[in-house]
Amino acid sequence: MLQYVNVNIDGAIIRAIKGTSVLDTALEYGICIPHLCHVPYLTDIGACRLCIVEHVVNGRSTVTTSCTLKVEEGMVIKTNTDKIRKLRHNLAELLVAQAPNSRAIQDIALRCGVKEVRYPFRNDDCVLCGRCVRVCAEVWKACAIGFVGRGKDRHVDYPFGIRPDFCKQCESCIQLCPMTIPPCDGPMKPGEERLCGQCESQLILADEMVGSCVLCKLGEGFGCGRYT
Amino acid sequence: MPIKMSRLNSIREVEHLREWLREQRKNITTTVMVCGGTGCRASRSQAVIDAIGDELSRQGLNPSVRLCVTGCHGFCEQGPVVIIEPGNIFYCHVSPDDAFEIVYQTVMNEEIIERLLYTDPVSGKKVRTESEIPFYQAQDRQILSQNRMVDPCSIEDYIVVGGYSALPKALNGMTPADVINEIKSSGLRGRGGGGFPAGRKWEECWEAPDNEKYVICNADEGDPGAYMDRCILEGNPHLVLEGMMIGAWAIAAQKGYIYVRNEYPLAVKHSLIAVEQARELGLLGENILGSSFSFDVDIARGGGAFVCGESTALMASIEGKVGEPRAKDVHTVVDGLYHKPTTLNNVETWANVPSIILNGSSWFASKGTQNSKGTKILALTGRIKNTGLVEIAMGTPIHDVVFNIGGGAVNGNLIKAVQTGGPSGGCLPVDKFDLAVDFDVLSEAGSMVGSGGMVVMDEETCMVDVAKYFLEFLQDESCGKCVPCRLGIDRMLEIITDITEGRGTPEQLDLLEELADTVAQTSLCGLGKTAPNPVLSTLRYFRSEYEVHINEKRCPAGVCKALITYQIDPDKCTGCGVCLKGCVYNAITGTKKQVHVIDTQLCEKCGICRSECKFDAIRVV
Repeated sequence: MLQYVNVNIDGAIIRAIKGTSVLDTALEYGICIPHLCHVPYLTDIGACRLCIVEHVVNGRSTVTTSCTLKVEEGMVIKTNTDKIRKLRHNLAELLVAQAPNSRAIQDIALRCGVKEVRYPFRNDDCVLCGRCVRVCAEVWKACAIGFVGRGKDRHVDYPFGIRPDFCKQCESCIQLCPMTIPPCDGPMKPGEERLCGQCESQLILADEMVGSCVLCKLGEGFGCGRYT
Repeated sequence: MPIKMSRLNSIREVEHLREWLREQRKNITTTVMVCGGTGCRASRSQAVIDAIGDELSRQGLNPSVRLCVTGCHGFCEQGPVVIIEPGNIFYCHVSPDDAFEIVYQTVMNEEIIERLLYTDPVSGKKVRTESEIPFYQAQDRQILSQNRMVDPCSIEDYIVVGGYSALPKALNGMTPADVINEIKSSGLRGRGGGGFPAGRKWEECWEAPDNEKYVICNADEGDPGAYMDRCILEGNPHLVLEGMMIGAWAIAAQKGYIYVRNEYPLAVKHSLIAVEQARELGLLGENILGSSFSFDVDIARGGGAFVCGESTALMASIEGKVGEPRAKDVHTVVDGLYHKPTTLNNVETWANVPSIILNGSSWFASKGTQNSKGTKILALTGRIKNTGLVEIAMGTPIHDVVFNIGGGAVNGNLIKAVQTGGPSGGCLPVDKFDLAVDFDVLSEAGSMVGSGGMVVMDEETCMVDVAKYFLEFLQDESCGKCVPCRLGIDRMLEIITDITEGRGTPEQLDLLEELADTVAQTSLCGLGKTAPNPVLSTLRYFRSEYEVHINEKRCPAGVCKALITYQIDPDKCTGCGVCLKGCVYNAITGTKKQVHVIDTQLCEKCGICRSECKFDAIRVV
């Protein structure tokens, strides 16, 4: 039998299933927390840090990722404070500066209120969210790809760079990859990267209703709570 | 001394063994202690050890004179160090050629060799004994002092000086709750960097409902400049083992690991030997000393990743996985190694445990400040006269450490700052030197005690360059798992590089500060959370240096190569031509006895000319 606990997310008392994460609970109840590396059926690793929330314990709040935080009785969570919004904005800015050629990343930047990028753009094609690595290991039990290298050199690759026989080319990795959809105008050339701006009409909406969801189309393919 | 050491089956047998060993050693009249720690080994102490050993056997002194190769004495700068007991005679900078004199004059005829004595740089006098040296006098050596009497490869030595007394005491008269209470009331806090109360950690682990528990000793010390854990493990591994045994008894763990990096070959070797010796005596294994307590320790060797000093990454590494941290929303005391409750403490923390059990918590708590008790070992390095390992009571002002123990700056330069706590710590300016070495005081000031690294900087150090150095280190050592640490450090380094190369703008300073704050708050593990400390603390105390770099495109300390030029002072130049010969880039021109000129286009700013010039004629502008 399912056990339930009561948690307080943004003032709403929510009856959550014991053992689920704060992010899953919030999404299920329509509280949108931006997220990137989280996929509902994969284990959460807390890599992208976009789903950070404030967890208030005895009046002291700590910033932690909601995907790795399990619900507990009497828990107090704030998903949308000024502090969280600012931190999330800075994280999204780092991501979009690194990989502007993804509609998913551009959309996350928009949702987190990034209007200007203060770092030089880079044209990377991977943000190391680890969705592909986890789906390969956890769903298909193949482990055909993994993280290689440390820090700056970290990248996703086959073992020793050669596609092994146990890769069945199921393409799950590609389906889950946030980098596969280019911005509407097509891929940006190196040196000409920018914030996409195609969603400007939605941006106004986001401005008026602070922290609100802009109901982007991308959310659908992205496991956004509004669409699941 | 061929001793038949057999398994000890009761607590009384430990005492009997100790009595017997002391009896055996009554005939030893003189002990020559040569430091075999890493610092002294780097100054060729192995050759000194061999030479003294040869000399002793040639003189036929072997049974009555004992040559003891010990762990680090702390005064690494003066190595190789030799101490002769009785008399406490201290010889420094000993070379293999001195072996005959030491054996013939000092050991056989009790004469002092003036030449090898330590000279006090302040008074200029020769100092005869170790205890009179100001470097040692200003310290409070509780753990390090145990290094000097003990051969790390000999469990007999450790037992003779009173080792393995605390374990029987804990096993015999104390319940696990007693042990935990003793540690709690002693106020011992983790020495690895976090400063978490050890007693609370043990208690939470003890309360965790599971039959299988672990203790881990974290010896993955990777901070640039810090080597105190290395020296304890190399110099007195049984002290750490005994601490771990007591901890394991308290939390009911059956298995322990010492996680030591493979770059510390001596520490690996000595801890392996120690574990083997303890197993032979039945101090590790089933039914230790006839009690119901069973415990064993294995050595896990790490590949030398800085991030593996983080508890969850370390545990992943022991499990055979990639050393990457994971979210710690459930603490490792409940969900640790192999998802079992695990108590992880630093080498120094474990080393403090036996004496707390033996002497009582009030003895330990009598040293230190309100919230930081006991002593702390610091690795004192940088631009000061006396470098080495120093152990001080918590609460000692930084000023005392730098000037009384460290002896002040070299070359008469002005001391500008001290960097504490390694890459996770921060820089404190000289006007903060009255602050005490205390967990809370230092973190309040934007730095931290950390593992205890203390790097002293003088006016020739550029603080922006220091921040850049630590960021480069952290960028290399970040595991790359989470966005703020991987990209955030990278971008901070990008900004700082811009500043040091003269492309900085005032807006970048605000961005740097904001980014540092974001990285600190949102990173996954302790490495990322503390990574911005070097930037934040230098921005807080040395903002003017950043501003000079940005606004005036000038490096006041003359370090940042893009912002300096080398010039020859025409008034001082005698035209000797030394700089001209020294310059590998052919950037200096001039004829004999005429003032020379540096071509700034060709100059690569290597600084060779400046160090070669005897007339101080080359300036950095």
